Amino acid sequence: MAAPALPSQASAPISQLAGWLGANDLPYSLPIHPNLVHFTIGLFVIAIAFDIAGALYPIEKRVFRFLALPITRAGFHDVGWYNLLACAIVSFFTVAAGFFEMLLAVPIPGVTSSIGLQSMETMLWHGVGGVVILLAIIAMTVWRGYQRFVWRRDMGRQVQWLYLLVGLGLFLVLGLHGTLGAELAAEFGVHITADQLLNSGADLQTGLP
Amino acid sequence: MQLQLPPLNDHNLPWMDTIHPIVVHFVIAMAVISVVFDLIAVVARRPNLLEVSFWNLLFATAAIFVAIIFGQVEAGLADPYGGSRLILNLHSTLGWCLAAILSLLTGWRYVLRNRDPQSLPASFLAAGGVLALLVVIQVTLGNKLIWVYGLHTVPVVAAGRAGLI
Repeated sequence: MAAPALPSQASAPISQLAGWLGANDLPYSLPIHPNLVHFTIGLFVIAIAFDIAGALYPIEKRVFRFLALPITRAGFHDVGWYNLLACAIVSFFTVAAGFFEMLLAVPIPGVTSSIGLQSMETMLWHGVGGVVILLAIIAMTVWRGYQRFVWRRDMGRQVQWLYLLVGLGLFLVLGLHGTLGAELAAEFGVHITADQLLNSGADLQTGLP
Repeated sequence: MQLQLPPLNDHNLPWMDTIHPIVVHFVIAMAVISVVFDLIAVVARRPNLLEVSFWNLLFATAAIFVAIIFGQVEAGLADPYGGSRLILNLHSTLGWCLAAILSLLTGWRYVLRNRDPQSLPASFLAAGGVLALLVVIQVTLGNKLIWVYGLHTVPVVAAGRAGLI
């Protein structure tokens, strides 16, 4: 079941680094990008969710009083602002680590993903999409900052409805984008030691005890 | 009574991709950022960040139970082999421990916040440091399951079904 090494693979540019890389094609065992992604996605989603909670404050405040959980509208919007700010900062590193690790990626050949893409298509969409999403996050952060500190600084509802709508739209983009990233790992075996060993014909019982 | 799940796909899952690693975004990011904002709030004297920390901590606590539900189902379908068996056991045990720890911290924080939302005792900061450390350990264990052992990835599932591992 192991694919025979093609003649071109030996001369592939990544082979220049062969001595420096492990079986997972990285100079370390656990990739960094997927761990930073937790912060980009988690912080963005919760930021928008709490701005929605702040926007709907007049409706929900009775529920929180019933729960004996004291709330302030400004507190919800503080979560919306600071989580988004943290998301914007960390996402530069998410994209940087992603590009470093994608330059070293060796997807398993001959695979078509469950949404019908091959590995190069998946990587191009995920790479370009990552930059576009970073730009969107920066734009959202600037937009959010203007609402908080300039346009709506004296208003109870700190965000425009359009901002929340764009945020929800980005949830869908993030979900699709994350699916591409998950497929690079779980279907194309990128940077997964066991998958790369299997693809090179190794026996996991001896190769990965 | 038997729980009927949809047929298993080439990830050995009844759904498209693993869901547990998606849900844990909200445990990892919210727990860690809560500790970070607590630290900034105290060091830089920004008490309004304490409110941000509180909500992130509450959300992390709610999310970890969802993460455990999907984690247990997907662990049960993972077919661990070799060294991944021990790692999966440790990851499951620490996951349940973290659910208890997060719940206790959130309860403690609720009381502190009701008494004085503008300050935080050093003991809670220390507890936050322990929480962050345990999260890092837990994430490392989970990382090994996917990035080293490839549990639920198509090549490993195929090899397992072929009796190769």
